[in-house]
Amino acid sequence: MQEIFANLGLGFQTAFTFTNILWVFIGGTLGTIIGMLPGLGPATGVAILIPITFGMNPATALITMCAVYYGAMFGGSRASIMINTPGDASAIVSCFDGYPMTKQGRAGAALAISALASFIGGMIGMFFLVFLTQPIAAAALKFGPAEMFSLMMFALVATITLAEGNLLKGAVAIAFGLMLSTVGIDALTGIIRFTYGAEALQDGIDFLVIIIGVYAVCEVFKNFKDINAVYKFDSKHIGKVWITKEDWKRSLPPMLRSSPLGFIVGVLPGMGGTIATFMSYAMEKNLSKKPEEFGKGAIEGLAAPEAANNACSCGAMVPLLTLGIPGSGTTAVMLGALMLLGVRPGPTLFTDHPEIAWGVIASMLIGNIILIIINLPLAIPLVQILKVPTRIMLPIIMGLALIGTYFLNYSSFDFVVVMVSAVIGYLFSKLEIPLPPLVLALILGGTTEQALRNSLVLSDGSLGIFVQKPISAVFIVLAAASLVYSLAKRKKHAA
Amino acid sequence: MKKTLAIVLMLSILAVSFVGAQTWKPTKTIELVAPANPGGGWDMLCRVVQKTLVDEKLVEKNVIVVNKPGGGGAVGWTYLKGKKGQGEFLAATSTLIMLNNLLGSSELTFKDFTPLAALQTEWISVAVQADAPYKNIKDLMEAIKANPAAIPIGVGPTLGNNDHLLILRLAKAYGIDPSKLKFIVYPGAGGEIVPALLGGHIKATTIGLGEVLEQHKAGKLRVLGVSSDAPLSFLPGVQTFKAQGIDVVFPHWRGIIGAPEMTPAMVKYWDDVFTKMVQTKTWKEQIEKLGWTGFYQNSAAHTAFLTEQTGIFNDLLTTVGLKK
Repeated sequence: MQEIFANLGLGFQTAFTFTNILWVFIGGTLGTIIGMLPGLGPATGVAILIPITFGMNPATALITMCAVYYGAMFGGSRASIMINTPGDASAIVSCFDGYPMTKQGRAGAALAISALASFIGGMIGMFFLVFLTQPIAAAALKFGPAEMFSLMMFALVATITLAEGNLLKGAVAIAFGLMLSTVGIDALTGIIRFTYGAEALQDGIDFLVIIIGVYAVCEVFKNFKDINAVYKFDSKHIGKVWITKEDWKRSLPPMLRSSPLGFIVGVLPGMGGTIATFMSYAMEKNLSKKPEEFGKGAIEGLAAPEAANNACSCGAMVPLLTLGIPGSGTTAVMLGALMLLGVRPGPTLFTDHPEIAWGVIASMLIGNIILIIINLPLAIPLVQILKVPTRIMLPIIMGLALIGTYFLNYSSFDFVVVMVSAVIGYLFSKLEIPLPPLVLALILGGTTEQALRNSLVLSDGSLGIFVQKPISAVFIVLAAASLVYSLAKRKKHAA
Repeated sequence: MKKTLAIVLMLSILAVSFVGAQTWKPTKTIELVAPANPGGGWDMLCRVVQKTLVDEKLVEKNVIVVNKPGGGGAVGWTYLKGKKGQGEFLAATSTLIMLNNLLGSSELTFKDFTPLAALQTEWISVAVQADAPYKNIKDLMEAIKANPAAIPIGVGPTLGNNDHLLILRLAKAYGIDPSKLKFIVYPGAGGEIVPALLGGHIKATTIGLGEVLEQHKAGKLRVLGVSSDAPLSFLPGVQTFKAQGIDVVFPHWRGIIGAPEMTPAMVKYWDDVFTKMVQTKTWKEQIEKLGWTGFYQNSAAHTAFLTEQTGIFNDLLTTVGLKK
């Protein structure tokens, strides 16, 4: 324990230089802006920085990149809340309750809680990173293909239970999402599936394009009929960027529960903020005494995933710092940049370069504080967006959505995908088929399929592998239990 | 008459190419296409080449790196294909320029472009858990020979890549039917394979040396052999496959292709530039930091190499039924 504090002291020594603090500030601001723009996520932000980091010492470089990563986590949900357009995949869940809050004129509270939740999630994540890194990293290695598959089944089932109305519609959405995820080259056999000769589909359908379609563009379609409407809110009310005591009381326990969840998901290889946010939302909805308010502007439905997301980004640092293994797309880019600077993160990073490893941890703590200082006042100009009339706002949303789409893959074919998915999103909303299960199934589909097939290769075709492995069995039981629980609850409601 | 005309024509072509050979220089910004996202091997190569060309003042024009990810390189290369005859357009390449075509995912081959140079290589390794009973590559090969189903081998991001081909070649050279090997495919590549091996979910992996080097040094994994032709100075105690009696040398090289139909003058220009570039201090320092080994072939040598390698891969992929 004493050693940890000594190391943390060393870390603060590294982090507390004028240059490093300045870069945390610059990186954090840049990251917040990048996170806000649809299509530009933390991985892109960090990649843009690589040429700038050429001249830096490795600790400063990593500190700057982490600040961008972190800033993007803070910024990612801004567009979700204000215009129903997720800045990146992990900000999808923030649309569910964030945007309804805005429509009710509570954008100020939504922005405030999302910054606060990001801060709290980050701080709890840091705490785990400092004290529990080694045992958690070791535990994460227990996750093989079978465990992975069962975890994903659990996540998917949990999302079906989120569906309003009937489970069948949720299942339809899942099936549709899974089908879309099979398009493209199959990694296991190299066979090209369901592209119908379209070369642009070979790499599969980018789920971010679909997300922009079914949320942002679809939102434009939905609002088109009210194009001349002006939100009639009390502008004093809009401008107030703070939350009430009641809001705080409702949000605190969900944030405290979701942060550890997010951290653990972040440590697992191949998992990320998206699944962390979905799982935390599902957990909170199932635990809530007022589940019917979820999706209609429940503040805890925004606070919980925001906290989970930031805790998850701390978790993603664990495999990078302890094993030299990138746990996410963003940390993979960081690894590459560090190698260019002559540092090879590996199992010995903490012993060979403690100033880097601990400097980064310390700077993340500082960054977290700086970011909340940047983000809370930023909400004040942001909420003014609400005063923009719909007929001006809709074209802006459309423009941002299309620019974001193009930036993802520089492919004009994606414009077709984004428009088709917007129409599908519109039909789904008319048919009252929920979108979250579709989106999650699309994101997880590929990984789930790989995990299933790899498990079956390992077990020579026996499905028994999923119940023989204890961790896997736990998730299967959890999945079954959440399905039964949800069915029972619905029956009670109906009765 | 016809003969004279032919001679005049030939002479004029010669004259043009001769004059060209003396005078071609880039006339606009040089564009290096990295057909992948920032952070990967191709992107790194482009950025290191850019840095070296600019810092060492080897070219007079500005150099920019453009990322065009997708299709295992196909998106960026298709873009390059549209720049016919323009000597300022280059792209990073690797074995994928051959494999994509053999595996049926792309129409493009190196013949659609002007191969300019191979620049660097990484070596591929075979690694097992630190407490595995296999001390060298032969131990592992014997175990696979006895019961291939008991040794799941991790490979990624897809089958048919360099790493996968390496172990197929090793197996074939050792007298094992390559189609009997049991592969677990990890689309997340090293980021998923290394934890899977550390956690014992797979028994072995064939993977870029750089991805397991630190684990090996820290004693968490054991590298059984490397695909280089000579022992590597930074990896004492690990022998090449060749030295262990399996005659397979397998570079995972990366290089540069130019736009289609570059003139001989352009090719000569780039041959000169790259020959100088690989000698510079900046280049040597940068590739050392990245754990790469210099692997320079000029345009002519590289073209011959590509032709030979395409033949080898073709045979191998046909054996395991991946050839399309």
